[in-house]
Amino acid sequence: MSRLAGTLRFARALVAMNLRSSLALRGAFWLQASFMALNNAAFFSVWWLLFERFPEIGGWRLLDVLTLFGVVASGYGASIVLAGGVRDLGRAIHDGELDSCLVQPKPVLLHRLASHTIASGWGDMASGAVMLGLAGALEPASLAATGLAVASSACVFTASGVLLQSLSFWIDGMETFARQISEFTLVFSTYPRPLFSGGVSVLLYTVVPAGFVGFLPAELVRAPSLALAAAALAASLGWTLLAIFVFERGLVRYASGNRIGARS
Amino acid sequence: MTADRFVRSTRKYGAIALVSARRALAERSVLAGRALFLGVIVFIFSRVWETVLGQGPQAIPGAGKRELIWYLAVTEWCLLSVPHLFLAIEADVRSGDIACRLVRPVSYLGTQIAEALGETGLRLLVLGPTGAAVAFWMAGGFPEDPRGLLLALPLGALASVLAVLSTAAIGLSAFWIVDTSPVYWIWQKLVFVLGGLLLPLELYPDWLRTLARCSPFPAMLWGPGRMAFGFAPEAALVTLLELLAWGVGIGVGLAWLSRSARARLTVSGG
Repeated sequence: MSRLAGTLRFARALVAMNLRSSLALRGAFWLQASFMALNNAAFFSVWWLLFERFPEIGGWRLLDVLTLFGVVASGYGASIVLAGGVRDLGRAIHDGELDSCLVQPKPVLLHRLASHTIASGWGDMASGAVMLGLAGALEPASLAATGLAVASSACVFTASGVLLQSLSFWIDGMETFARQISEFTLVFSTYPRPLFSGGVSVLLYTVVPAGFVGFLPAELVRAPSLALAAAALAASLGWTLLAIFVFERGLVRYASGNRIGARS
Repeated sequence: MTADRFVRSTRKYGAIALVSARRALAERSVLAGRALFLGVIVFIFSRVWETVLGQGPQAIPGAGKRELIWYLAVTEWCLLSVPHLFLAIEADVRSGDIACRLVRPVSYLGTQIAEALGETGLRLLVLGPTGAAVAFWMAGGFPEDPRGLLLALPLGALASVLAVLSTAAIGLSAFWIVDTSPVYWIWQKLVFVLGGLLLPLELYPDWLRTLARCSPFPAMLWGPGRMAFGFAPEAALVTLLELLAWGVGIGVGLAWLSRSARARLTVSGG
């Protein structure tokens, strides 16, 4: 129990340090965050234009898409702010850059993931919160469901990234593939669920887990229920455990880079 | 400029473009990634139009589901073919390599643009058939009048040249602000919304369409894209003239920026 508390304290310290380092370059931080928020608004404007002409798409209205965007933007933002190291995990494995984490008395994966942060994620989180607010998902009654949905989205996105990037332990050149799948997960998760059916639907709950990053959490916010909350929790837990398992198995095969360098 | 000098210049920059295209061909994973991304976007929007329109009415006169899918394939083809030239210029400015490159017997900006155009040409050749194949598959055939697509080919290629010139101008802003990404993001979003990347301007409200038409962005995407709606030589000619006019405008702006950047480098040092 004390080991878990120690790990949590370590994670909190890493997050605080990342926040301080992001804010150290105040101008760049605000620029990146505000432009990312603008980016999300510009992308959403396409949906606004479409719904102006066609009020319903497969039973979804503009407010539903707003909720979906809000959940995905917040979840993705939280993922890259808190676990920004996931993006370069494959490269770090390939280049033997895990050495510095291996000699520390803390979990290697947590260390690697939380040692990096991406400032634009704050813009994603801010724009996501605004969208959720506009969709009425930040009312006191729905706050718990919204919080769980965003956390679940962030967990699955991070875990799927770790899982794919960890394949670099076994296969060379997986970084590009893993990034591409993460990009597709993000793209698919911002489109209404009724657009996809059949084999594509299966794909969106397995290889490209957009279903767990967007559709399921958004459904939880749209129509909260215990069953959906349990499904979101189970998805987060399942993906996280699977990602940790694959990473730990891969770590056994890890070969040091034998490189001398400073940790950034 | 004498004819002889012009021919030598063309050969020189042509050779640079060719080398760049060969280098880009070697980076197969990047090309495959772009092609896959193009396929995914066309697939998703084919589902959007299928759901919205079904076999029913046309979204705009002359454009049903099939035409709208081809529209998207054309606009994405134009945009995804353009490399991130601004990053190369920014890297040279950041590292100071620019000082060494300026003394070579070729224009720095000309070299950068030639390299980008070489890469653009290759991407156009690869992404064109990819986009066409996916659009054909998703739409279940060609548009009602496929002759318009023949007009989209030269317009799309010219639109990509305009986009390359724009990204070169963005890259030159590095001489003043170093980090050019925010400028690129603004440009990208303007192209995205005002250019009509995903939705044709006909679906926009009047005020936004009027605003968009005052900018160069519709000529870059909506102009070539709307050729999927039918054979319209007059509209193609208008787009061609717009592309040429904006091309001259951006070219003049680029020359001025280049001169100012050189002057700034001379004053501040490399």
